[in-house]
Amino acid sequence: MNHFPEAWGRPRNDVYGAYDASHLQSSMPNQHTQSPIVTGTSVVALKFNGGVVIAADNLASYGSLARFTDIERLKQVGTHTVVGAGGDISDMQYLHEKLLDPLIIKEEYQNDGHHLRASHIYRYLSRVLYQRRCKFNPLWNTLLVAGWDEGKSFLASADLLGTTFAAPALATGFGAHLAVPLLRRVCPDEAAVENITREQAIAAVEECMKVLFYRDARSLNKYSLAIITGEGVESVGEGAAKEKVTIEWKKDVELQNQSWKFAEGIRGYGAQVV
Amino acid sequence: MPSSTSIGTGYDLSNSVFSPDGRNFQVEYATKAVENGGTAIGIRCKDGVVLAVEKLIGSKLLVPGSNKRIASVDNHIGIACSGLVPDARHFTSRARSEASNWRKLYRSPIPISSMADAMGGYAQAYTLYSSVRPFGVTAIIGGMDEAGGPGLWMVEPSGVGWGYFGAATGRGRQAAKAELEKLPLPNITVEEAVKQAARIIYFAHDDNSKDKDFELEMTWVRLEKGSAEELEEGGATKGWGKHEEVPKELVAEAERLAKESMEGGGDEEMEE
Amino acid sequence: MESKPTGNLSIDGIHVDMEHLKKGEVNLGTSIMAALFDGGVILGADSRTTTGSYIANRVTDKLTQVHDTIWCCRSGSAADTQAIADIVHYYLQLYNVQNHEPPTTQVAASIFQELCYSNKDQLSAGMIIAGYDARRKGEVYSIPLGGSLHKQRYAIGGSGSTYIYGYCDANWKENMTEAECIEFVKGALAEAVKWDGSSGGVIRMVVLTERGAERKIFFPDESYKGNGQ
Repeated sequence: MNHFPEAWGRPRNDVYGAYDASHLQSSMPNQHTQSPIVTGTSVVALKFNGGVVIAADNLASYGSLARFTDIERLKQVGTHTVVGAGGDISDMQYLHEKLLDPLIIKEEYQNDGHHLRASHIYRYLSRVLYQRRCKFNPLWNTLLVAGWDEGKSFLASADLLGTTFAAPALATGFGAHLAVPLLRRVCPDEAAVENITREQAIAAVEECMKVLFYRDARSLNKYSLAIITGEGVESVGEGAAKEKVTIEWKKDVELQNQSWKFAEGIRGYGAQVV
Repeated sequence: MPSSTSIGTGYDLSNSVFSPDGRNFQVEYATKAVENGGTAIGIRCKDGVVLAVEKLIGSKLLVPGSNKRIASVDNHIGIACSGLVPDARHFTSRARSEASNWRKLYRSPIPISSMADAMGGYAQAYTLYSSVRPFGVTAIIGGMDEAGGPGLWMVEPSGVGWGYFGAATGRGRQAAKAELEKLPLPNITVEEAVKQAARIIYFAHDDNSKDKDFELEMTWVRLEKGSAEELEEGGATKGWGKHEEVPKELVAEAERLAKESMEGGGDEEMEE
Repeated sequence: MESKPTGNLSIDGIHVDMEHLKKGEVNLGTSIMAALFDGGVILGADSRTTTGSYIANRVTDKLTQVHDTIWCCRSGSAADTQAIADIVHYYLQLYNVQNHEPPTTQVAASIFQELCYSNKDQLSAGMIIAGYDARRKGEVYSIPLGGSLHKQRYAIGGSGSTYIYGYCDANWKENMTEAECIEFVKGALAEAVKWDGSSGGVIRMVVLTERGAERKIFFPDESYKGNGQ
C-alpha cells in the first residue's frame, strides 16, 4: 500500500504487474468501478492533554490536476466528533450526506440527553466500510475520527478495507509515511499524551502540513484545522457534573514559515558551481 | 356529528361507505377522539414558531417529563399532536420518513408547506379504504424554512390541512382559539409567544379539564445558529430553523406568569 | 459485447478514460463552462461532437434546459448525458407541480448528483449545472466523473477545459457585468476550441437572469465577434 489513493487495496503493480482483466467476461454480472476519481490527500491528527487536533488541506485532485482548491475534508459530526477523509471525494460526500447526517438527525429524535460520541461514529463508519468492501464495492476513503469520548480524547483510523486501528498520532495517505514519524517524535505513545499541550500539538500538526506540502505532489498550501477539547464525562441525571466539549475551527489557513531561500545557493547538479 | 338517528343505520361502520347525505362517519368519530385529547396549540411568530400541549397525566406513577406529545421530525420541524397517542406516534414516524426521503433526493431539508401537503395526503388516504380507520389525531406542524420563513399548519383526521397564524386543537380548542385571536399574530416574537402559549394552555385547562393533572410541554423553532438570516419587508425572519424544547427556566417563568394570570381572574387582557 | 480495458493507467492509476465509451459511441469531446456575474449566470459551450476523429455533428447544442431557468452543460457520452438531463427534466417538472414552487438550482444539482453518483460504474458524464432563482440568484455547480458535487463561482469542463485553467484563473473577476462575463466565457472557449482537437464549431451561450433565459451564438468564420444576436 502506498500513498496514492488510486493504489489502495491493490497488489503493487511494480511487484505483481498491472491487474490482468482479460479473464473478466463481459457477461459477468455486477462489475464495480474500482478506482477513485476526484481525490483528497492526507489527513493528520494528534492527541494532546485535554483534546485532539486534526488537519487536512483543501485540495481535491483530478489525477494530477489540482481541480478544486476549496474543498473541506474535515467535517463535524454531531457534538463530539470531527471526521477527516482522504481518498474519493464523491464517496466522502455520500458518507456525510447519506449516512452520517441522517444518523445524527435520527439520534436527536430521542431527545434524551444522550449524543453519539466519537467512538460510536467510529464503530459505525468502520462497519460500513467493511461491509462495502465485502460487497466488492468499497467506499474509497481512509478516515480519521477525532473527538471526545468518556472523559478522554479519541483518535482512530478506518479505511476502505475495513481496517481499523487507534494511536495518539495518526495520519493517512502520504502523511502515513511523512507525518507519522514527525508526530511520534512529539508523542511516542499514549502515555506521552498528558505531557503535550494544545499549543505543542497544533505546532506539530502545522509542521506536518508544511512537510507534506513540500513533498506531496497532490497537496495544497491551504488547509483546515479543528481542535476538539473536552472536560468530564457524559451524564444525564440531575445535578451530575456536566460534560463540556468544544470544537474550534481554523479554516482557510495558509502555510506559514516556509523555507525556500536556500534554493539560491543550489547551483547545477554536480560539478557545476555557477 | 352523527345524530342519534344516524347511529345504528350501518353507515357509520365502514370507512369506504358514505351515508346517504354524503358524510363519512368514521372521520367524524375520529374527530371526536381528538376532541377528547389534551389541548395543543401552535403560534406563528415573526422569528419562529411555538408549539405547546396540555399533556394530561393519567397516573401519578408516570415519570415526569416522559411520553412526550411534541416530536421533532428533521432538524427544523416539530409536530404537536392531540388525540390518540399511538396514532400520533405513527403519524410523526411517517413525517420523519417524509423528511428523510426528501433529504436523500434533494440534499436539503423539506419546506414546511411540502411536509404539510405530504402529511395531509397521508391522513386522507386513511379515509378511503374499508380496511383502515382514519387517524384519531389532529397534528399541528410547525417549522421554519429558507424560502417561506416560519410556517404553521394543522392537519385533521379528514386529511384537510390549512396554514395558520395560530392553531388550536383538542378539548380546550375553543377557549384557546378565542385567546389566540386576541394576539397580534404573526407580529410577535417567539419569546413573547412562549409566555402567551403557557397562559393559553393554563387557561384552556382551567376551562375544560380542571380536575385532571397535566404537564405543560413546550417547544419552539427558531433560526438555527449559522443559518443565513433574511428579513422580509414585513419583518419576518427567513432561514432554516431549529426545533427544540423551550429551556426549562423559560418554561418555569412562563408557567409562573400563567398561574398568576389565572389567579387574577381568568379573562383579563393580555400583558407582558 | 466485449469489454477490454482501454485508456492508459497513468502513474496516478487514474483511468481518465473518456475512451471507456462503448465502441462507436458518440463523444462530446467538448469545451463547456458556466460563470456567475452580477445579476445572473452564463453557460457556454462549443458545438463539436465526434466519433473517434470524425466530426459527427458540427453544430451540436450541448446546453440543455432542465427547468425554466436551470440549464446544464453536457460533456462525456452524448447518450448518457442526454438520458440524465431528460430524467432530471422530468423530476423538476414533477417538483414544480407537487410543491407549488419552482425548484432551486441546488435541488436540480442534487438530483443530477444522485443519478451520476449512484450509476457511476456505467456512466461517463461530466456535467455543469447553472441556474437562476429569485431567492438565491445565480448558482453554478460542477459534477465531475465520480459523481461528487461542487458549488463554484465558475466551472469549466470537458476535454478542452484543461487548456484554459490558466486563462480562466487569470481572467475571472468577482461581480462582472453581463457584458464582461460574455467576453470572459467567449475568450475562454475560443482558446479551448483553438487548442483542443475535440472541440470546435460555434460558441453557444445561455444567459440566465431575472429576465429569463436568452440564447447567444458566435461563429468561427466571424472570429466569434459580434453581439451574438
